[in-house]
Amino acid sequence: MSTKLDDNLRAVFAGIADFLIPEALGMPSASQVDVHGELADRILGLRPDLREDFMRGLKAAEGKSSEAAAQELNTKDPAALTAIGLVASAGYYMTPKVRELIGYKGQESRPEADPDATPEYVANGMLQQVIDRGPIFKPTPR
Amino acid sequence: MPSVKKSPKVADVLIIGAGASGSIAAKHLAENGFDVVCLEQGGKVDNSEFWGDKPEWELMSQKRWHPNPNVRDLENDYPVDTSDSDVNPLMYNAVGGSTILFAAHWQRFMPSDFRVKTLDGVADDWPITYEDLLPFYEEVDIEMGVSGLGGDPAYPPGKDFPLPPLPIGKIGMKAAEGMNKLGWHWWPGPNAIPSKPYDGRNQCVRRGACLTGCPDRAKASMDHTHWPKALAAGATLITGARVREITVNDEGLASGAIYIDRNGREREQKANVVIMCANGIGTPRLLQLSNTGRDSGGLANSSGLVGKNLMMHPYAAVSGKFDEPLESWLGPAGQTIHSMQWYETDASRGFVRGAKWNVMPSGGPLGMRAAYGGKALEDSWGENLHRNTKKVFGRSFEWGIIAEDLPDETNTVTIDPNLTDSDGIPAPKLTYKNSENTERLIDFHLERAKEAMAAAGAIEMSATRLMRDCGWHLMGTARMGNDPKTSVVNQYGQSHDVPNLYIYDGSVFVTSSGFNPTGTITAIALRSVKNLIANRRNQKVAA
Repeated sequence: MSTKLDDNLRAVFAGIADFLIPEALGMPSASQVDVHGELADRILGLRPDLREDFMRGLKAAEGKSSEAAAQELNTKDPAALTAIGLVASAGYYMTPKVRELIGYKGQESRPEADPDATPEYVANGMLQQVIDRGPIFKPTPR
Repeated sequence: MPSVKKSPKVADVLIIGAGASGSIAAKHLAENGFDVVCLEQGGKVDNSEFWGDKPEWELMSQKRWHPNPNVRDLENDYPVDTSDSDVNPLMYNAVGGSTILFAAHWQRFMPSDFRVKTLDGVADDWPITYEDLLPFYEEVDIEMGVSGLGGDPAYPPGKDFPLPPLPIGKIGMKAAEGMNKLGWHWWPGPNAIPSKPYDGRNQCVRRGACLTGCPDRAKASMDHTHWPKALAAGATLITGARVREITVNDEGLASGAIYIDRNGREREQKANVVIMCANGIGTPRLLQLSNTGRDSGGLANSSGLVGKNLMMHPYAAVSGKFDEPLESWLGPAGQTIHSMQWYETDASRGFVRGAKWNVMPSGGPLGMRAAYGGKALEDSWGENLHRNTKKVFGRSFEWGIIAEDLPDETNTVTIDPNLTDSDGIPAPKLTYKNSENTERLIDFHLERAKEAMAAAGAIEMSATRLMRDCGWHLMGTARMGNDPKTSVVNQYGQSHDVPNLYIYDGSVFVTSSGFNPTGTITAIALRSVKNLIANRRNQKVAA
């Protein structure tokens, strides 16, 4: 089976990706952030294990409406739809525009400025409630 | 088969596996003048290989850095037949072992964990007590650079941790508020993750990617905490060395190991003492593959218990959604707070023993926790994808429940008759089922965790009764004890059958506790290796 993502298959992918991730609720569709472009190539390069299922699904979807293709794959070849959905959603949530819209900077670096500062839960007495209840362990029996 | 190439050097001590226990042994032996060789089937991992600081993090977490070796499917992994197991084993094969991917929850067992038979009438007591292990817990805390807060009323008094606790974040505060409403125990969780720069490692930046490798060289994986010191002291570390057999001389003493290098050549490393540190699956696998003809079940197995009593800690969880932003992707991951409110046995609950709870962040929007999935197409995609992301992402956390599973001789590691690794060495097969006690324990704890989540103000919640990909904690398959008929090794990890063969990994656990075990594995390894060093003149060795 050819594993090349040609323009035709790229368009098929864009259609299914938009059915799965449509423009709605203030969010762009998958194709509006170009998940079917270089992002798809990059993801398939990083995850070659997805390629076979992904390509098989796209070839089966050729000539069908995106919704019909997605529904059919979901029942007849869920592994293929899973691969297509993962490439679409991984690319989608990797884009800076989408991340900005959902308030996610990625797994950001935010070190504690003063690690020796008294923690809030100590300063406000929250932890003292736990201490005041006393030990909860059973000691070693003698 | 090609001829076996023998190493000219006879090591004082040969260590199999460069993970948590092997690293402790290598460092302390080398620093005390022993000629140490360690064989590790994996390679050295560089922190730049991790994806936690890159947009592709979640994508790569689901394959290359997945903790399940059957999913990762790398050459340095061995496959595991899990067709008869309720739980998948998780591990990593490299210098540092599974600490490369562990969450670094640095827990001690509680005193009752060592006296389960006496207190609860089940399983067996350990040959050691909490008090025996306490000095070694405190010493490994310093070696690892543990961040935490002393005074936890779930434990007897002891020394403070070497570093102040990591921030518990909004999710930890939210969970703690709920626990205080109920009057239940919680405490900032101890983590082997430095809150300040420590011993050559960087301060944790709270990236929350601990489970897929720390790209910031902060988390205390053994490749950073111990191997630089072991190598500086003269230890020899051979990577890509896949052991297929522990060799034995005519006297029945261990004489070394035969391994296959990455060029496919068989090599032999001779040694006076052999220490197994290959985890609760790898160690019984190798012992059973080292069948000398003396014991039908493999090396050091006159008790018949090698490979039996596998314990893996079934993991349940309650995830709560909140109507306020909680930045729930922020680390450490790692744990923010833990609770032992329901840890000790109360017979009125209908089961014995208990579980530790922990709060962890919930990751990025792609949902690396695919184990929780299973929704219909229309529920997961279309407008609902956006709706669910807006509702849940950054606004949820989970109470995770580590259930103590009791030893059961029908839960086993055996040799699979068909499956092999990439070098043709037979692979392990797991047989593991939850007991009725475990089922009751999980049901009880899930109900309590729902109450905790409701008290914290969750507007929705969902429960996961058993996460299949949860078998991080591999224990019990070569248990310690005083009686050679009912145990494989003594309290110092020394084989009852082969006096110069030792086991230092989680295989030696008598019971599992309800705690993440690496703190106890390393404390036991430290206690054991110090005993070996102190008694070096009395050690029987292969001639």
